Amino acid sequence: MTPVDGSTLSTVAVVMVAYLGVLLFIGWRAAKRTHGGEDFHLAGRSLGAWSAGISSTASSESGWVTLGAVGMTFNYGVSGLWYAPGCLLGYLVNVYILAPRLRPLSANQGSVTLTDVITRRWGDPRNVLRLTATTIILVCMMGYVAAQMTAAGKAFSSSLGFEGRSGYILGVVIGAVVIILVTSLGGFRAVAWTDLFQGLLVAIALIALPLYAIAHLGGFGALIENLGAIDPNFLSAGGGRIGPALWGFIIGQLGIGLGYPGMPHVITRYMAARDDRQVQRLQVIAMFWGVAVFYGAGLIGLAGRVMLPNLADGEQALMAIALQLVHPVLAGLLLAAVISAILSTVSSQLLVAASAVSYDVVEETLGKASDDRRSLILGRWTVAVVGLLGILVALSEVRLVFWFVLFAWSGLGAAFAPLILLALMRRGVNRHGALAAMLTGTGVTVAWKLGRDAATSPEIFARVWWMALLAAVAIFVIGRLTRAFDWGDHVAVAAAASLTVISWWLVQLWGLDNLYELVPAFFLAGFAALAVSAVTKDDKPASE
Amino acid sequence: MEEYSLTLGAHLLLWVFPLVLVVLVIVEDLLDRFKSGSER
Repeated sequence: MTPVDGSTLSTVAVVMVAYLGVLLFIGWRAAKRTHGGEDFHLAGRSLGAWSAGISSTASSESGWVTLGAVGMTFNYGVSGLWYAPGCLLGYLVNVYILAPRLRPLSANQGSVTLTDVITRRWGDPRNVLRLTATTIILVCMMGYVAAQMTAAGKAFSSSLGFEGRSGYILGVVIGAVVIILVTSLGGFRAVAWTDLFQGLLVAIALIALPLYAIAHLGGFGALIENLGAIDPNFLSAGGGRIGPALWGFIIGQLGIGLGYPGMPHVITRYMAARDDRQVQRLQVIAMFWGVAVFYGAGLIGLAGRVMLPNLADGEQALMAIALQLVHPVLAGLLLAAVISAILSTVSSQLLVAASAVSYDVVEETLGKASDDRRSLILGRWTVAVVGLLGILVALSEVRLVFWFVLFAWSGLGAAFAPLILLALMRRGVNRHGALAAMLTGTGVTVAWKLGRDAATSPEIFARVWWMALLAAVAIFVIGRLTRAFDWGDHVAVAAAASLTVISWWLVQLWGLDNLYELVPAFFLAGFAALAVSAVTKDDKPASE
Repeated sequence: MEEYSLTLGAHLLLWVFPLVLVVLVIVEDLLDRFKSGSER
């Protein structure tokens, strides 16, 4: 990017400090209304339509929407927009199918987390489902939190003019400390309220900036003319791709939407809605937010391509336009919007990771801290500890963690989305089927991704066999030693291991390496749930 | 100078899809309000 002058940076810094001050103020207000465990983990099921709706959407998008989505259209033109219908179809499923069923179910069950919904739906006498779900959530969420903290650190340091390694560390620490404070003090309520504030900031920025940019270019017609002059393929829905590459790209982009019903930090918002009326109202709010934000980001990428043709990294188009073309105060607000998209996701994921430890493991599995006040204190300390761990991982930049992040969206989506939809819409699935779905979703996601990568790195071939075999043996051994598994659980593990290896073969044999791993993993996990439930159908579901 | 324009697929992707979606969401909401109003 072109260097930015000092006075612009000072103005941007003032706006940033004010923005962080608002977050802390909201956290303090929420903390005053947080008195017990259910308050901390689920805001006492008191959210209105606006906070539940915007919080669910803002926490699902992360920095991807202000950076990655912008980069998609910057790099690929109109064809880069295929993510928008994919994500919006995911929103449709979440707000029209899942939310109206999940809120009353979780209220009747008294469930607090996604794991709670699953275990109470099918019964979990030896905590097999709870510990499996918690492990998947923790692995995916911790990687996600650390990666988002890294992104926040980079965004802070570049917008505040911090330089070098020390500037990056300062950026990570500022963003993380504010979020840890807000989340640990105010819990779910603080996260939902700050999400509402940040989500509105993101929406305003992504509506206003493309309008400004298109007007600056001389109108929509001029934008199209200029894009066509750069590359005529920018004006087609296929972007010049043909055959399997085209269909793999389109199905993969649409497939992103399959993950939404499985995101614990998103769907707990629906569980926290005050009543069915709020769920009905949040449908419109969430859909409008989605359309505005996805298409706003796409238009910024298209305009950025014309306005800043020499920009090396398309993902920086929003920040570059903000710093170079608008008034410094507006630039500060736009950069705050970029960071908002990141921090709203960090806080939500941090809370989910902390709830997995403090509620699912310590309270429910180990049976500790059953009274409300101790549950609140435990929740607060867990957020602080998990958050500090996130900072350490972000600063150490452990490569393995960032490797896991590649699977976080698809892993969570495949493990939980088909399962939660089956839980809400279909009888006949039992707890063994639920276990099979979670293991298959996770296993197939990893195997398919490795299968795709094997096209360029042939040595990956042997590893998948060993990983699947070792994982299955390890799960069997743990099940034996703890005497937690019955025969149906063994069937579930065997089915998941087999489908994982078969899926890897499918990538190789059919040359499906263009297909995003979430698509096969989602459908195979759903298939595993139904097939294993049919084989072990003598075990009746615990609750309907 | 050569003139450029969006292809049919690009029209559908860029503005027809979001417009139709927004209209459907509004219609669904109005129907819901009408239904809950008549139930009262």
